[in-house]
Amino acid sequence: MISEAAGFGLRLENYSPLTHHFDEMVGADGAPRSHWARVVNFLSSLNREGLAHRWDEGRRVIQQNGITYNVYGDPLSVDRPWPLDPIPLILDPAEWASIEAAIIQRATLLNAILKDLYGPQRLLYDRQLPAELVLAHPSYLRQCHGVMQPGGSFLHLYAADLARSPDGKWWVIADRAQAPSGTGYALENRMVSNRTMPDLLSRSNVRPLEEFFQTLMRTLLEIAPSHRENPRVVLLTPGPYNETYFEHALLARRLGISLVEGGDLVVRDRRVFLKTLGGLLPVDVILRRQDDSFCDPLELRADSLLGVPGLLQAIRDGHVAVANMLGSGVAETAALSAFLPGLCKHLLSEELKMPSVATWWCGQDVPKQYVLDHPGGLVIKPALRARREPPVFIDKLSDADRRQFLAKLKSRPQEYVAQEQVALGTTPVWNSHGLLPRHFVLRVHAVATRGTYAVLPGGLTRFSASKDSLVVSVQSGGGSKDAWVLSKGPVPPMPPPQPRSLVTDINRATFDLPSRVADNLFWMGRYAERVDFGIRLVRGGLVRVARESRTNQDLSAICDVLQGLGYLEDPEARLEVSILAKELDTLVTDPERRGGLLWTLNKMHRLGWLLRDRISADTWLVLSRLTQKFVEPLPGDPFRRSAAIDLLDRSILRLSAFSGYVMEAMTRGAGWAFLDIGRRLERAVQVLEMLRFGLALGVEDNEADRLEALLEVSDSIITYRSRYMSSMQPELVVDLLLLDEANPRSVAFQLARLQEHIERLPGAADLRTRPEYKTGLEAMSKVRLVELDHLMGLDRRGRRTRLQVLLRSVANNLQQLSEQLNRAYLIHALPIRQATQG
Amino acid sequence: MRYRTRHTTTYLYGEPVSLCHNEVRLTPRDASGQTLVEYNLDILPRPESVASRLDYFGNPTSFFCVDEPHTRLEISAESVVEISPRTVPAKGATPAWETARDAIREEIDAFQFVFDSVFVRTGDDFAAYAEPSFPAGRPVFDAALDLCTRIYRDFKYQPQSTQVDTPVEQALKARRGVCQDFAQVMIACVRSMGLAARYVSGYLRSGKDRVGAEASHAWVSVYCPGHDWVDFDPTNNRLAGLGEHVTLAWGRDFTDVSPMKGVMVGGGEHLVHVSVGVVPERNRTE
Repeated sequence: MISEAAGFGLRLENYSPLTHHFDEMVGADGAPRSHWARVVNFLSSLNREGLAHRWDEGRRVIQQNGITYNVYGDPLSVDRPWPLDPIPLILDPAEWASIEAAIIQRATLLNAILKDLYGPQRLLYDRQLPAELVLAHPSYLRQCHGVMQPGGSFLHLYAADLARSPDGKWWVIADRAQAPSGTGYALENRMVSNRTMPDLLSRSNVRPLEEFFQTLMRTLLEIAPSHRENPRVVLLTPGPYNETYFEHALLARRLGISLVEGGDLVVRDRRVFLKTLGGLLPVDVILRRQDDSFCDPLELRADSLLGVPGLLQAIRDGHVAVANMLGSGVAETAALSAFLPGLCKHLLSEELKMPSVATWWCGQDVPKQYVLDHPGGLVIKPALRARREPPVFIDKLSDADRRQFLAKLKSRPQEYVAQEQVALGTTPVWNSHGLLPRHFVLRVHAVATRGTYAVLPGGLTRFSASKDSLVVSVQSGGGSKDAWVLSKGPVPPMPPPQPRSLVTDINRATFDLPSRVADNLFWMGRYAERVDFGIRLVRGGLVRVARESRTNQDLSAICDVLQGLGYLEDPEARLEVSILAKELDTLVTDPERRGGLLWTLNKMHRLGWLLRDRISADTWLVLSRLTQKFVEPLPGDPFRRSAAIDLLDRSILRLSAFSGYVMEAMTRGAGWAFLDIGRRLERAVQVLEMLRFGLALGVEDNEADRLEALLEVSDSIITYRSRYMSSMQPELVVDLLLLDEANPRSVAFQLARLQEHIERLPGAADLRTRPEYKTGLEAMSKVRLVELDHLMGLDRRGRRTRLQVLLRSVANNLQQLSEQLNRAYLIHALPIRQATQG
Repeated sequence: MRYRTRHTTTYLYGEPVSLCHNEVRLTPRDASGQTLVEYNLDILPRPESVASRLDYFGNPTSFFCVDEPHTRLEISAESVVEISPRTVPAKGATPAWETARDAIREEIDAFQFVFDSVFVRTGDDFAAYAEPSFPAGRPVFDAALDLCTRIYRDFKYQPQSTQVDTPVEQALKARRGVCQDFAQVMIACVRSMGLAARYVSGYLRSGKDRVGAEASHAWVSVYCPGHDWVDFDPTNNRLAGLGEHVTLAWGRDFTDVSPMKGVMVGGGEHLVHVSVGVVPERNRTE
């Protein structure tokens, strides 16, 4: 019976909220709040395994959809799954209505403040706001002064972080006015709830989130300056290293717009264009997820290479609109909170509906004195800096540190702002011990729409890692929750999605592909093929070393190719099998070994990472598993070698799964074409080099073992056997690997596919005027015109010179072809640089 | 006095530049005692268009983009300006520097030049250097003039000793630099005393006893309540409003007024050549 009771871990009586904090689910009397009733009933109807079972599904959905977040600067190792808690935060309709009204008011107010600060500055001249708070703030971008976008809005998207104090009141603890994150995660959280608790969700009258995104898209289209029929909207991301890159990719997909980095855009004649394979396409609206000071290296931060030079001038000239407007970041200034009640009355003639957490800006005497007199319980933040810095908790400092800090504050008081530490409310979080109270913060989002704001009914809920921690951040071990805003009655069905996104999808299949992405796909293809060939080659070596057949021709063939392709560093490796074995081991396990398998794999993985919005989630999954397995350490001797061979065997399977996904799941557009061009080119080069170093350099009496090794490495042994049984002849091997257009591993096959791609790429109508077409044709003709007997003939010194010359000449053609394709299609991907100032 | 100024910047690139964007501040601005008579900006290769505007500080600013491949870019600005000497406050005529410091809070347009900026951060080391010039009650003009002279004496003018982005702290420590460093050290000192100072870029009429005339020059403007802004040239230990300086632009520091900014694609190695000439108009030989 005891174990039975323990099974019901979700019963309410086992939940003990913290004293002195407001709990969302349970009231002061210990009874569940009425709007939680359905959830509480639902949870008590499940046993622990029931929820665990449902939650396995949740985790699977998270894994499957690749819902992740990153930590800055470390894109490879920390692709962390999104830590979502199954139990939603429940908000009742009346309470939500007051939150909604407060957020709309605050967004309206901040927008009005920005409009004044970037215009007449009446607030400063009339002393409504201390001038230094704005004029000394690095986020106040003077370059943006006087620039007005269509609709006159500065703040198209706004978010507030809300906390619940012990008396049950909501407080704003932070404003997000640059490029607020969280809407995408909110959407994903809801999707997971939908998959794990469809029954509860549909019974609970939860307000859906979709409308917010439709409104956002409508707003973006409305601010397009040109009023073209179908304005082009793009989402500007700082790139895959950004902590919320996943969300950028997701939102772009959701809105049906292109995800671009600064390098994908270019300003010409004061207009913004997207660089694509098909040429430059005009851009009308930029939804930015990049901090404003990084957006234009010409006028803003010169050290930013993420931006688009000339962007600000294009905005100024009214050729492009940006949401949020550059310069909006100054509205995030914490010290501004202290002045909002007055500004609200002054600008909107209303009382501020929701208070900010108590804020004292030390640049004024009275607040400064208060802070010096009552430093306990305060958090001190920099008031005049653009980047967010860790706040200082006065309570946590030693006496000496505290004295030193307060002295610093006294000498430059205007640089500090103090805020009260809020006793954050709690909400239940599920883990293997049952339900536990955790502190949380709710981020609520608003989008501008026709003179007012619309609020996302829900938001991003983040909770702390432990009950003692007031730090609510996913990055520091906390988690996230879905937020359910209940509706008074049944929720009406959503209108169907706009047809616009469909149009954009159709465009995807054409050459509307950023050149940088094409370049990445091209290299992705090359690395995939290089790794595939390298694995077969190294495996061929390892297997033979294991057999200790060092005198055999087959191992020497493998060594010839390994050495020819630059895989071996130690020249002794050919002579001494223990050195060879060590070299092969390094090639498999050492990430620092240039050109080694793990090294190349890491490059491929990184490209895959960069291309996550272009390849399917499954393709990415296969790729990351492939790298993961390679990174896991191999066992020591005596099992090391066989473990390595086993790893290579499995990796070949994973690589073919990768190729399979690419073949089956990728749209046959320009993206796929460049990936395939990369693969074909690389495969042709590898086979040419293999034949050159493995066969063309010399002739031996009995070449059967050597030929067999080459066929094995090039994955053509079955084909060969099915045709010629077991008789190994160099002419037949060269025919199969070089000339046979039916063998998908042959050079001829690759050249034919390359030529097909080249003919379909955009460019001059007359193919013969295109250099890459001519080079491809030349290579293909050389191979097609080969007379095998002549080619395989020996010279006076008994060597296959003719074969060698042909292999080299075709390889040179391919090198040239790669350069020509680069010049014709990918050169836009060049980085920008700062000119020396004269 | 009427001057003709010619400022030519030539970039030579090792590899073609396929695209460049530039922002230049080469037009003499509206300033007291200065009238622009004639102005011409020549750019080769010729850009499709040049967009001109006044920036936040009222400096004429031009934006252009060259999008044909080029290995040489030449930007040449020629102006004719009429300059009359400004009246300089008499010694003892300006308010005490402490009074000036407290009064600035009420004048927002000047007040913004009290704060730290990208290149100029105030600090105790600057205050310590400045203090001997700022004894209690000394008129603000007198104090600034004394500071200007001290910087001129204590610092060595040394071309190529610093970069455009050399931190002002380093220039203070090394006691040497070019006109930009002289100006920014003085600005940091003035601001560290709680007063307003701005960075002025322009040209200086050449002469044997003057440094900085062959390139673009920079000096300092200090706010003296009741007497507006007064210009000091610490590189040459003289006042800058006496009819020998042509003002291009002013701002908080070099970043606000940089005569030439550019971002480009391609280019490889590159060389820059700058030539500046300031000639009294009646001496024209053309």
